[in-house]
Amino acid sequence: MSLQQVTAPGIGPSIGSPAPVDVGLRKWIGARSSDHLIKVLSVLTLISLWYLLSAVLPSSVMPAPHVVAEVLWKQMVGGEIWNHVAISLTRIVLAFTLAMSVAILLGFAMGLSRTAESFFDVWVVCGITMPSLVLILTIFMVVGLNEKAAIVGAALPVVAILSINIWEGIKGIDQKLIEMAKAYHAGQFRIIKSVVAPQIAPILLASSRFGLGLIWKMVLFVELLGRSDGIGYKIEFYYQMFNMGEVLAHALLFLFVMLFIEIVLLGMLEKRLFKWRPAKRRL
Amino acid sequence: MSSAASIEIDHVSKIFPGRGGAQDFKALDNATFTVDAGEFVCILGPSGCGKSTLLNILSGLDDQYEGVASIHGQPVGRHGVKGSRIAYIFQEPRLMPWRTVRSNIEFALLASGFAPSEWKERIDRCLALVELADFGDFYPLQLSGGMQQRASIARAFAIEPDVLLMDEPFSALDELTARRLRQQLLTIWSTFRSTVLFVTHNAFEATFLSDRILMMTKGPGGRFCDEVKLDGLTRPRSYEDVRVFEASKKVVERLVSHVGSLDEE
Ligand SMILES: Nc1ncnc2c1ncn2[C@@H]1O[C@H](COP(=O)(O)OP(=O)(O)OP(=O)(O)O)[C@@H](O)[C@H]1O
Ligand SMILES: [Mg+2]
Repeated sequence: MSLQQVTAPGIGPSIGSPAPVDVGLRKWIGARSSDHLIKVLSVLTLISLWYLLSAVLPSSVMPAPHVVAEVLWKQMVGGEIWNHVAISLTRIVLAFTLAMSVAILLGFAMGLSRTAESFFDVWVVCGITMPSLVLILTIFMVVGLNEKAAIVGAALPVVAILSINIWEGIKGIDQKLIEMAKAYHAGQFRIIKSVVAPQIAPILLASSRFGLGLIWKMVLFVELLGRSDGIGYKIEFYYQMFNMGEVLAHALLFLFVMLFIEIVLLGMLEKRLFKWRPAKRRL
Repeated sequence: MSSAASIEIDHVSKIFPGRGGAQDFKALDNATFTVDAGEFVCILGPSGCGKSTLLNILSGLDDQYEGVASIHGQPVGRHGVKGSRIAYIFQEPRLMPWRTVRSNIEFALLASGFAPSEWKERIDRCLALVELADFGDFYPLQLSGGMQQRASIARAFAIEPDVLLMDEPFSALDELTARRLRQQLLTIWSTFRSTVLFVTHNAFEATFLSDRILMMTKGPGGRFCDEVKLDGLTRPRSYEDVRVFEASKKVVERLVSHVGSLDEE
């Protein structure tokens, strides 16, 4: 969980050269397809490794990929699994909204005021040091084994790291551009709208992606600990039954759903927002 | 052009208060000078003598100072000076990277209250002046450093400033690019005839560009110590002109006699 990686958002959109010459374009496509090829190979290798593992281990512990795929297919057709996906997704949305709201409040306060910065500094440091399990169990103890506790329990462990993220971003806002806007006598409102907001948007988007990635794992964890529905609960249930096929099928399906949201939806939003950023250069 | 004073700096001093028990820092000591309307004046002084500090005061960015700084007879303030348009070109281009060049200029036009119907014509004209006519729809990060600085010059001239403040705008560029931009700047200036206050630590640049050079001593507490008039150098000036070269040599001598050595430069 490096901060650096988060403040400079993951997938860099590429504009390439603005008036692509034919040669440049062809090269670019070439680079692109070889990139895809490597990705496909990487996935194939992963599946082969899984096969290898399933051949070595007893099938009750590590079922082969096609067995899991079959189980997954039956579940998807059966329909029951979708209810649990929906339940987990609802919890994710709620916990994410809660965590983001608190983190935005804290992050902005710390980024804009020195007093708030030194006051909350200690809290945030404690927050990132505290093991999530301790926080979640404490919430269950205090609030009770209910839905509210599940949401708060999933949100709380990520608030600190998200706050730091947003705080760093706010501190990185380019003061020189604000000076430029003032020198051209732009009003306060216009400065916020046209100079500050466009710098905050990428910070929030990057934090959202990062936060979502953490939250969904927390939600599964909370469901496993103290809920009787949701994907996390189903995983725990089949684990108790010693049915690894179902465990992996549930985990895989949810992984796909979340990857879709993280990469496809948020990634597309990012590409749209940052078409001004030049293609990332490799070192 | 009338010779009424356009910029007036009257006994202006600036002290940066020391943080956390540190000593106060005097960045500018009792500066007094005027610049006439349509005049091109260079402030020449070593690094750290308070040149940027002075421009920040004149542009209204810094309103914590002693003395009086006024433009066209009105004290400068955060919201500019009524009836005058002031543009500021910084050492770096300071373009918003998420906006195209055109849209960056539009921001300045909007802030200065120009009607949107005028924008396109103004922007096209100013981009052509800095030879960026084809680059309006490019994002700043797609341009070279010199092109970005030209875009920021276009932005400044787009608002048709009465007063133009420039803070070492070419010092980050290679000498050849800087030369071309200086030449372009003079050409543009000769059509607009804004009052220009240009800050630099490069004696040749000051000589080549200005009607008058104001010299400053080393900081802390930089003071204005000398003045060189360059009326003798007729415009348009060229780099090949021996007279410009001779004059700049004299300027360097004078500067050295005030500052000591130029080792730092
Ligand atoms: N915000 C600040 N707080 C404290 N001291 C400052 C501040 N800004 C500038 N100074 C000090 O004031 C002095 C003058 O700074 P200024 O930026 O005006 O120098 P300059 O003449 O523009 O130099 P350069 O040619 O290097 O740009 C410097 O010694 C600097 O340390
Ligand atoms: Mg400076």
